[in-house]
Amino acid sequence: MVRHFLVLLAASYAGTAAGVWWLSGFVPWFLLPDLPFLSIVFAGLFLPGPIGFLAAIPPAVFREVTVSAPPWTFFLASMALYFFSREIGMRLFLRAEYFILSVVAGLLLAESFSVAVLMMLSGSRPFSFLWGMQEAVRIAWTGLIAVPLYMELSGRWRRVRE
Amino acid sequence: MGSFFRKWWRLLAAVALLSVAIQFFVRPPAALSGRDALHAAGSLLFRPVYRGVDFVRQGGAEIWSHYIALVGVSRENERLRGEVAALRGKLQESRDSLLENHRLKDLLRFSGTIDKKTIGARVVGHDISPWFQSIFIDAGVEAGVERGMAVVSPAGGIGRVHKTYDGLSEVLLVTDGRSASDVIVERSRVRAIAEGIGGNLCRLKYVSPTQDVAVGDRILFSGFDGSMPKGVLLGTVVSVDRPREGLFQKVQVQCAVNVQAVEEVLVVLSRPSIPFRAGKW
Repeated sequence: MVRHFLVLLAASYAGTAAGVWWLSGFVPWFLLPDLPFLSIVFAGLFLPGPIGFLAAIPPAVFREVTVSAPPWTFFLASMALYFFSREIGMRLFLRAEYFILSVVAGLLLAESFSVAVLMMLSGSRPFSFLWGMQEAVRIAWTGLIAVPLYMELSGRWRRVRE
Repeated sequence: MGSFFRKWWRLLAAVALLSVAIQFFVRPPAALSGRDALHAAGSLLFRPVYRGVDFVRQGGAEIWSHYIALVGVSRENERLRGEVAALRGKLQESRDSLLENHRLKDLLRFSGTIDKKTIGARVVGHDISPWFQSIFIDAGVEAGVERGMAVVSPAGGIGRVHKTYDGLSEVLLVTDGRSASDVIVERSRVRAIAEGIGGNLCRLKYVSPTQDVAVGDRILFSGFDGSMPKGVLLGTVVSVDRPREGLFQKVQVQCAVNVQAVEEVLVVLSRPSIPFRAGKW
């Protein structure tokens, strides 16, 4: 379990660092997968007990630090995302590609829609049709990356446990 | 009742966390708006990465330009580029000051005599979230950078400092949906509010259909709201739509600076006259 924690920590740190500091300004934002998001959802779906909760905290901190939202909002929203994923993992989850894709894409879509609605309600209108298309690419791309990543990691760790 | 909570506590926890997050999003508590321990610790975690990236970028570029390719020419080129950038900045200030001269002959006091201190900083990262537009620069509280300070380049305004840490600051770009600044049309002196709409665009709010704004007009920061020094260029009007019905024109402005590609910036080290809040929050 400690190994799971360390792997998730490394993946989310490397993903955040690569996205924000290394690739930003070079690769368009909609082609950068949200690896901290994927780590949080993985912790919720696959890691039971306190270790999953602990594994979700570092990527939530990384998101909080690197997204220019009002203070604490992305940390709290990321922890809510963990609990939603945990609930899905415990009650609905099927270990199948299409299910992983639909869960990840659905959660990304819900998060994006919520932030967009909140910004629009507060008077900002920074969203256009082009932005919507780019966001759809980001959601699809992140969801597609999640499928092999989750299958590989969960399968490997299940074999180790057995 | 107890079994209900035992069964659904995760869902309830998620809803509670989400509710608090939404509350903070809509109305962030003043106590959390400044520097806090979480952000300071988080910025420390990524400092080795951005320093490494900066070192590699700068090191690679310097080795190439100073030692491999044309040693003398590259240095002279660098010096000349600096001079051109400084002259462009002076020319921009002069144009606005010249117009001011013509309008207000008797009251003229050359605004260029107000000497504002600035420091240079390099852009070391970007916010890659789809909702917000900001950049990270390698100057922080140790360099005297504070929240609300203006960030400019010789080509025009870039944004305002949003968060500061040791050795790092986050700059909210003028194209972010939360950015709103008092601006003025250079030719007709019409005042408006420029609000970011993403991409490299802003829109002008509260321009009545009777006011004179045309495609190609240059838009300058007025300086009245303390967000930017007076006369700094925001951009050029690219579209004007006068709806038959409606109170205001729809005016779009292309920013003078490509805010996503900018590499070096200047931070104006003067405290904003009006306390900074990121847009509507």
